[in-house]
Amino acid sequence: MSRFVIVTAMALGLALGVVGSAQAADSKQVFDFYCAQCHGVNGDGKGINVTKDFATDPRNFTVTADMEKRSDEDIRGVIKDGGPSISKSPLMPPWGATLSAAEVDGLLAYIRTMCKCKGK
Amino acid sequence: MRLLAVTVSLGAALLVMATAPSYAAGGDAIFKKSCASCHYTDGPAKEKTISDQLAKKGPELFYAGSKFKKDWLAAWLQNPKPIRPMKYNSLSEVNKGDHPKMSAGDAAAVTDFLMGLTSPEVKAGVIKPAESAQAKAIFGKKMPCTGCHEYSVKGEVHGGKSGPSLVGAGKRLNPDWVYAYLANIKVFKPVRDMPDFASVLNPKDLENVAAYIATFE
Repeated sequence: MSRFVIVTAMALGLALGVVGSAQAADSKQVFDFYCAQCHGVNGDGKGINVTKDFATDPRNFTVTADMEKRSDEDIRGVIKDGGPSISKSPLMPPWGATLSAAEVDGLLAYIRTMCKCKGK
Repeated sequence: MRLLAVTVSLGAALLVMATAPSYAAGGDAIFKKSCASCHYTDGPAKEKTISDQLAKKGPELFYAGSKFKKDWLAAWLQNPKPIRPMKYNSLSEVNKGDHPKMSAGDAAAVTDFLMGLTSPEVKAGVIKPAESAQAKAIFGKKMPCTGCHEYSVKGEVHGGKSGPSLVGAGKRLNPDWVYAYLANIKVFKPVRDMPDFASVLNPKDLENVAAYIATFE
């Protein structure tokens, strides 16, 4: 009996791990496709659109001190409604009509791995 | 006798096939042979996932006849200068400008074929080129198209690099298509790295932006 429980628990853990990493991979693809053009593949704010004409510095997601000040709700909101929703630049456009709620949640989780931080 | 007749007619058919000049072929046949490995022309849009979009080597052309201006298209196919600063679907490789060139005859035939591929979503003859303060404010500041698209100011190129350049858009793009694209983007590109601006701008704003882009040199 106890062996069965252990095996079941291990299988479940393995399955959850696989699902988790698949979601992470999906979120990386979503990030690379939509966000990296301005925020950079590494999330450092150095995407190819950031030329001398770009009127703001896209958020550098790797700066823990900046990112931990942003709540999860702020980040979800700015992805969906754009920069002006938190008094930031309209160069961050609204993606609410493009991304699903699950994709937004996935991006939030992926960005939190970049800053190695949690929102306050 | 019958064998002779068959042989002669077969020979004549082969002769016609062998000597038929390539420019006599229809634009659809030339397209199928030279272009279809990178561009699809049978709509509606096929992409459902990011992977679907990333698998494409070039833009879909099932609405090319509504999107492009005919004279521009015929000239571009003969001398294809880069439209996108970056390689299609890439944020790291620049566009090398290696799109194949066509002869004038082939370009004319393919242009005729592509111009026949129109979209019922595009109402013809509605948007006329026009500058307006509203459009300039949206394009440059309110919902800045400039973040991702190049544009020209007195011959100097400014703007972002991920989207297709809008330098010379007045000659290249049908403003009615630009409006339809802004108003109903998912019909043309269900999976794309451009936001859906119809969700935040009203139809009049979208009309003004399309009219403004139509003035771009």
